[in-house]
Amino acid sequence: MGAGIYTTLTRQSGLMREMQVVAHNIANISTTGFRREGVIFSEYVKRMEDAPSLSMANADTRHMDLRQAGLSQTGGMFDFAIQGDGFFLIETPEGQSLTRAGHFMPNAEGELVNPDGHRLLDLGGTPIFVPPDMNNIALSQDGTLSGNGQPLAQIGLWQPGDPLKMTHMGGTIFISETVVPADSATILQGFVEDSNVNPISEIARMIEVQRAYEMGQGFLEKEDERMRGVIQTLGR
Amino acid sequence: MKALQIAASGMAAQQMRVDVVSNNLANMSTTGYNTRRAEFADLHYQQLARPGTVSAQNGAMLPTGVQIGLGVRASSVSVVLAQGSLAATGGDLDLAIEGKGYLEVTLPSGATAYTRDGGLKRTGDGLIVNADGYQVNPGITIPSDATSLSINAEGEVYAYFNTQVQPQLLGQLSLTGFTNDKGLEAMGSNLFLESPASGPPLQGTAGQDGLGTLRQGYLEESSVDAVREVTELIKAQRGYELNAKVITAADQMLSATTQLR
Repeated sequence: MGAGIYTTLTRQSGLMREMQVVAHNIANISTTGFRREGVIFSEYVKRMEDAPSLSMANADTRHMDLRQAGLSQTGGMFDFAIQGDGFFLIETPEGQSLTRAGHFMPNAEGELVNPDGHRLLDLGGTPIFVPPDMNNIALSQDGTLSGNGQPLAQIGLWQPGDPLKMTHMGGTIFISETVVPADSATILQGFVEDSNVNPISEIARMIEVQRAYEMGQGFLEKEDERMRGVIQTLGR
Repeated sequence: MKALQIAASGMAAQQMRVDVVSNNLANMSTTGYNTRRAEFADLHYQQLARPGTVSAQNGAMLPTGVQIGLGVRASSVSVVLAQGSLAATGGDLDLAIEGKGYLEVTLPSGATAYTRDGGLKRTGDGLIVNADGYQVNPGITIPSDATSLSINAEGEVYAYFNTQVQPQLLGQLSLTGFTNDKGLEAMGSNLFLESPASGPPLQGTAGQDGLGTLRQGYLEESSVDAVREVTELIKAQRGYELNAKVITAADQMLSATTQLR
């Protein structure tokens, strides 16, 4: 007895977790370069002595949706958007990280940094220096940055070595142990990539989660009544 | 139930976006104003199950683990540096900067501020000041008997007199550039202050040093694009509503929990 309740509880706590993920996706609906996250439920099978096996619900797997999002035109000289698969490499205190948020600006030393102050790295892994007296900064599709007609640096695009092992950090940063060059992607100047959260599917998922949760609560209530009935009948 | 706080952070972010948009729209006709844009970044992630956690008796590992994000934060409100269009005013002390330089102004405190608002005035003594009455460096005084003024592209101020044919050079307005103009600290009244992020001021001459040239008789209009701002406003409003919806849903889930015996 009680297995029904525990099975339902695993589902309920998983749904609660999924609700948080949905809330996080919707909260980041206008975060540049954000990639939406999803939760995957899996079956956790428990061996039983005197009954067929018991399947618990386990929301212990997540996936990151790396689909390309729309581009917003900003006209910014150092606003870059990636078209296709690939990431910018930036230098953070935790080491080299990947990001698709392409809003950069020169810092006081003239190096290109993102809004958190992390430096953008070029193809060779060194920070990109833009001299202060440079005008007419232009970017070609392969990432070559030039000022006044002179090439300055080539912005590198990278792919995680194993996309499944990539972790999401705050600040739209991804950490991957290994990176490989991304050849197929191109960079556009004057655009940034939006968040790839789709409000319609996210709200639909939210309603689904909410209703499934209420259904689980209803089941728990029924199970409670049933057990109460058993106790009252037997106790007489 | 973290979904409530997460959605609240989303609402706060969209609210800030509306604030930025409304400030842009309010400054649609401010001389030399540049559009601001709010940028967001996701908050840090809570690691519920690290990738590689053993998930079954046979030693199978979780390939991806569970990370739950905790919402959104504002990462920057940055200035979109764009040259505004020039409006012809005909004023002899109206200057538009074509390029990325700034005019230098001395504040009453003695500190130096920088501006792109070239709507200059003169005091009773003939000193060239900005609209707030602060001296524009290097402090040029126009003689009271000057009949007209001419300021060339390099910022040289010439005065013409009835008594002489040749104009007299009064001084040269300097332009200043910054390594990171977006790092300047806005102080209102179209004035900016140097900050650690902007880098030190790089004083130069108009027409040289890549700072741009001056154009007399014109003012730089605000670079706010009303259509873009209104679409931003719509997006922010809908984003706000979506987050509010999440709060309602999370609340209903919580209420379902409390109604359980």
